[in-house]
Amino acid sequence: MEALNLMPEILFYIISGMVLVSSVMVVASRNPITSAIFLVVDLFFVAALYASLGADFTAAVQVLVYAGAIVVLFVFVIMLLNLKPEALRGFRFTVGEALVLLITLTGFVIIATELAHAPPDIASPGNLGAAAIELAGGNTFVVGMRMFTAFLWPFEIASVLILLAIVACVMVAKKDKKSGLKGHIQSSGGN
Amino acid sequence: MVAVENYFILSSLVFLCGLAGVMFRRNLIMVLMSIELMLNAVNIIFVAASRQLGQVDGQIMVLFVITVAACEAAVGLAMVIALFRRYGTVNTDFLRLLRG
Amino acid sequence: MNLGVDLTFLEFLASLPALVEWNDFTVGLVAFAVKFAILVGGLLQLPPLLVWIERRVPALMQRRRGPNRVGFFKWRLYGLMQSLADTIKLIFKEEVVPDGAHKVFYHLAPVFCVFPAFLVACAIPYGPDLLVFGHKIPLSVVRLDVGFLFILAISSLAVYGVSLAGWASNNKYSLMGSLRASAQMISYEIPLGMSLIPIVLIYGTLDLGKIVEAQTSLIHWGVFAAPFSFMIFLICMFAETNRAPFDLAEAEGELVAGFHTEYNSAKFAAFFLGEYVSMFVLSCLAATVFFGGWQVPFVPYETIVALAGSPNIAALAGIMMLLLKASFFMWVYIWVRWTLPRFRYDQLMSLGWKFMLPIGLANVVGTAVVLAVLRFK
Repeated sequence: MEALNLMPEILFYIISGMVLVSSVMVVASRNPITSAIFLVVDLFFVAALYASLGADFTAAVQVLVYAGAIVVLFVFVIMLLNLKPEALRGFRFTVGEALVLLITLTGFVIIATELAHAPPDIASPGNLGAAAIELAGGNTFVVGMRMFTAFLWPFEIASVLILLAIVACVMVAKKDKKSGLKGHIQSSGGN
Repeated sequence: MVAVENYFILSSLVFLCGLAGVMFRRNLIMVLMSIELMLNAVNIIFVAASRQLGQVDGQIMVLFVITVAACEAAVGLAMVIALFRRYGTVNTDFLRLLRG
Repeated sequence: MNLGVDLTFLEFLASLPALVEWNDFTVGLVAFAVKFAILVGGLLQLPPLLVWIERRVPALMQRRRGPNRVGFFKWRLYGLMQSLADTIKLIFKEEVVPDGAHKVFYHLAPVFCVFPAFLVACAIPYGPDLLVFGHKIPLSVVRLDVGFLFILAISSLAVYGVSLAGWASNNKYSLMGSLRASAQMISYEIPLGMSLIPIVLIYGTLDLGKIVEAQTSLIHWGVFAAPFSFMIFLICMFAETNRAPFDLAEAEGELVAGFHTEYNSAKFAAFFLGEYVSMFVLSCLAATVFFGGWQVPFVPYETIVALAGSPNIAALAGIMMLLLKASFFMWVYIWVRWTLPRFRYDQLMSLGWKFMLPIGLANVVGTAVVLAVLRFK
């Protein structure tokens, strides 16, 4: 039964392959709706990746909030604005853009090498390990306990942030009562 | 057990996809979607590191990132709608008034 | 593995079980496949039966006859074969794709509608554990620690099927219907989630199996522990599946047929399948969370096992019990559809946001306070 021992590896390569393909499609497809649907696929497989890493709760939240709510907003806006497929610009780099890509890549390599050789953080108060998490009542329970003890203040601040975002959305997207839609489009012209 | 390096490679590739989207796409909604992609790439690292370091703090960070991403997407899309009302386009080439 | 030349295919099949090493993993894999096949097969039988009920019941209510002709020779079976005839017609009808439709998404939209419904059905616990050759087999296709969140998460994906169908058809009625339907589904998802949080607080777990196991007797049922939750859930149930009185998405008088105006033949049937399966899933969820799931009222599980002498017979009784409870809610769906008139769209939205959401929030806070007082040491 050697194939069974290789299961996590096979699973990882399938999932990450899907993640990569859909990420490329998000960026490379001309039609914004296609991009949005591939973004859903991407988020779904990233959630699968979380689940394979033992983070069940995070995976469920990822699908619930990201795929179920945020991308729906994108799809809505795309449909409402009736965006047409755009012509792709092609890959012509300016020096600045190439530099940004290069710096990002270097940063990732540094972080990856640093973290890959980091030993399990024994001294940290949050350190549990898979077996201990199972013993303490499962991933969801442990995440919840940690969230509402050590991370209580960030949690409260996040709720204030959401409130701010709601108010901001209403203020920004509110229709201007004085001038209608027509005047704006006529005055927009060429810029 | 998949070695943790694999997750970092995957994450950096996804991040580069998102970065390329931000740099090369001229549609404001596409730019926002690419930002979501980049946030996701970072989330993958958080969860992988959380398993590597044997603690759940990484997963909690992901929850916060998702919260911020939700706010960002909502406000961003509200701005896209406002801009579309104002100028009739969401092409970033036309929306450069601040640059003069 | 030595296959003789004279081994027939049947003998080969019979020898297969001996070739596999039966540990927990392989048993789980085979059980998963069998359970999944049975579930999908069973769910595919739902729409014809429900369509028949949905025609006969209003006929009874309105003192009409309803479909009662189609049958074999002299046996008419109360018109049950009408559904079979309709299914055959739908499948063999010619497909017409509108000219301006987005070809890929037009064909994908029904899949997006059906797939989440079936996936959610996998997480429902249909009965207590089976005991097969000494292996415990849980009677849900996948048993998850976060079953609750899984169901909410996957069912929120059904929005894409609806919105894509309307957008890809390139028809203004379709688009308006789909915008209505998806806005409605998103709005009512929030109170639906809110109504389930008190249940999670009370039973202290996100595992649906454990929630059912906790509801041992009548007083422990969710409906008595959290009555307001049940009321909110019941209303959201109708809105989530786009059923009457919230079926504005396919308001015939205004929008032809809403998001599936341009669909016909097998794809139209797929939308029907998706709707009926999600009705069934929500009915099962209501029965599981609020009415004790597979627990038989007044008779504890242990008593049934002792009486029947085997956990498998008790599991069978559990499945029957859950299906009975779920079919009650299916009946409520049909009952309400033929009793209440349709809401107006602004009424629907203000009910969702200004009434259900505040009540849901107050319910969560109230339950939390009561629990904190009760468990105060």
